[in-house]
Amino acid sequence: MSSELSYSRVNRDVMRPLFDMGMHWYGLVGLVVLGLAWGGYCWGIQLVKGLGVAGYHPPVFWGVYITTFVFWIGIGHAGTLISAILFLTRSRWRTGIYRAAEAMTIFAVMTAALFPAIHVGRAWQAYWLFPYPNQRQLWQNFKSPLMWDVFAVSTYFTVSTVFFFIGLIPDIAAVRDTTKGITGKLYTAMALGWRGTDRQWRHYMAAYGFFAALATPLVLSVHSVVSWDFAMAVTPGWHSTLFPPYFVAGAIFSGCAMVITLMLPLAKAFKLEEYIHVWHFEHLAKLCLFTGGILTYAYGTEYFIAWYSDNPYEWDVFVDRVVGKYWWVFLTMVLCNCTIPLLWWFKKIRTSMMGLFVISIIINIGMWFERFNIIASSLAHSFDPGAWVYYTPTYIEWGIMIGSFAWFFLWFLLFVKIMPSVAIAEVKETLRPPLKHEEHAAK
Amino acid sequence: MTHDHAHGHAAPAESEPLDEPIKAVYKHLDCLLEGINGLKKVGIRDFTVLSPIPRHEIEQEIYQGEPSPVRWFTLLGGIFGATAIFSLASLTHANWPMIIPGGKPLVSIPPFLVVTFEGTILWGSLMTLVGLLLNCRLPAFDLPKAMHDPRFTNDSFGIVLERTSGHDEAEIKQILQHSGAIEVTGGDGNGGANHG
Repeated sequence: MSSELSYSRVNRDVMRPLFDMGMHWYGLVGLVVLGLAWGGYCWGIQLVKGLGVAGYHPPVFWGVYITTFVFWIGIGHAGTLISAILFLTRSRWRTGIYRAAEAMTIFAVMTAALFPAIHVGRAWQAYWLFPYPNQRQLWQNFKSPLMWDVFAVSTYFTVSTVFFFIGLIPDIAAVRDTTKGITGKLYTAMALGWRGTDRQWRHYMAAYGFFAALATPLVLSVHSVVSWDFAMAVTPGWHSTLFPPYFVAGAIFSGCAMVITLMLPLAKAFKLEEYIHVWHFEHLAKLCLFTGGILTYAYGTEYFIAWYSDNPYEWDVFVDRVVGKYWWVFLTMVLCNCTIPLLWWFKKIRTSMMGLFVISIIINIGMWFERFNIIASSLAHSFDPGAWVYYTPTYIEWGIMIGSFAWFFLWFLLFVKIMPSVAIAEVKETLRPPLKHEEHAAK
Repeated sequence: MTHDHAHGHAAPAESEPLDEPIKAVYKHLDCLLEGINGLKKVGIRDFTVLSPIPRHEIEQEIYQGEPSPVRWFTLLGGIFGATAIFSLASLTHANWPMIIPGGKPLVSIPPFLVVTFEGTILWGSLMTLVGLLLNCRLPAFDLPKAMHDPRFTNDSFGIVLERTSGHDEAEIKQILQHSGAIEVTGGDGNGGANHG
């Protein structure tokens, strides 16, 4: 942070963009509402006509919906990683970006949470996924990874949301003190009477530390549990103990890339470059290089183990991924996740706004295809050659996927206009406090 | 009452409640710490410090490193969550004793550990939230007006006294002014007007 920053300036700068909905903002909202309408229309058709409108073909009944579900859960990893793990490790570069990254996490999990309901077809019965008392006094099977996933995702969403709102309280109080009328009343209610008293700060800081400590293993566990949705099945290409670390690394990789994609335009548009600058993005890029390296290693290990296992079914799936029907998916994945991000090894590229922005988008394209590669290619090329098929998503599935992006961006656009997208109190903590004896010495 | 007692100790018997709390506003952290020390030196511990950011120096001055009781809420929440979810999974399977192929036990620890872990984190977090709200006494909409100063969420620190703690009002104000407060207001008026 700049040494010229003062406490009052931080308040002013961070709150400046709030409520100031310019034409650009309305334009973007209009665009995402269109996307959302298209997604809603496609989902509406599926609700009326049934899952037959999706491109499912036995034995492929997991396709774009589960791919997109895993994609969004993965995106949701960076926020809590940045806010919790980097808090515990006292990484100073988290301060400027963690608020928006946390918001991104919540919106990503909210987006992912739509997909089990979309995927089951009869969305009105999606509550069957949850454990609930019923007539047969039978609860779900707690030995099923799908059940674990319900617990993992709902816990992750609840804890991340609580952590996010707790972090917001002092900043909402700061916004409250500058707003009037109905807006002021809303912020007054949300600030819960926060005044920054010694008692409030004392317990707040203790609780914040505990939240960070609880959220840290949660970040690592959620995608491990998601990976077990696959790894616990005996399907070739899925049944591997490598999956949890492989999925967690991939999730952090894609999540950090999404933070770059979102924060670069945010910092520019809201003139927050003094708080979110190239130093932050460079750290994110390095984190991507590290997790991308793990991911590339995992891709290689998968192939080695498939070959070394001497299991013809396993090996055949992996060969098919490269030279079979889905070769283009595999190629996209490798290019976007393993090759192009290597350009970030060059400082010039990882400190250039264009280099950061373009590669971050490429990574997210690659990460979507990675999940598609795992899901579709394994199911379409399983044990029985007689059952080998080629699953092609329909416009309904693509439409719903586009709608999910619109849903995510709509929440994010609303967030940046009603909540401080940089953590005011925490940024102030990184500044030198005003000291009278220093001022005297300076004079 | 929802106001803060800086040290949690009972105020002296002769402590008089003030109709209008005494409020000192500081621009500098070192002056604030001097003010806190000044009050402590004469035995006044019943005051509230306001700050736009958490500072270890303030917490150390007031609580001398005494840990927050929020940790007990976290621990109990975690233990409850783990027990409740493991019991739910075990009792469910015991209540519906299917014959599991391969002779695996009905109550299997490895698969149940996954949901038990999630339950620990979920309830640990929810109880931390409860501990935070109870200990901070949030929502705190009835804090004295003297604490409703927008400067305390912006760039200033403050000390608010709602009681005299057996001291003369003028003496209290003098301590605060001498420590470098830019503004000292409030009180019942028997200590004289004190604008810094």
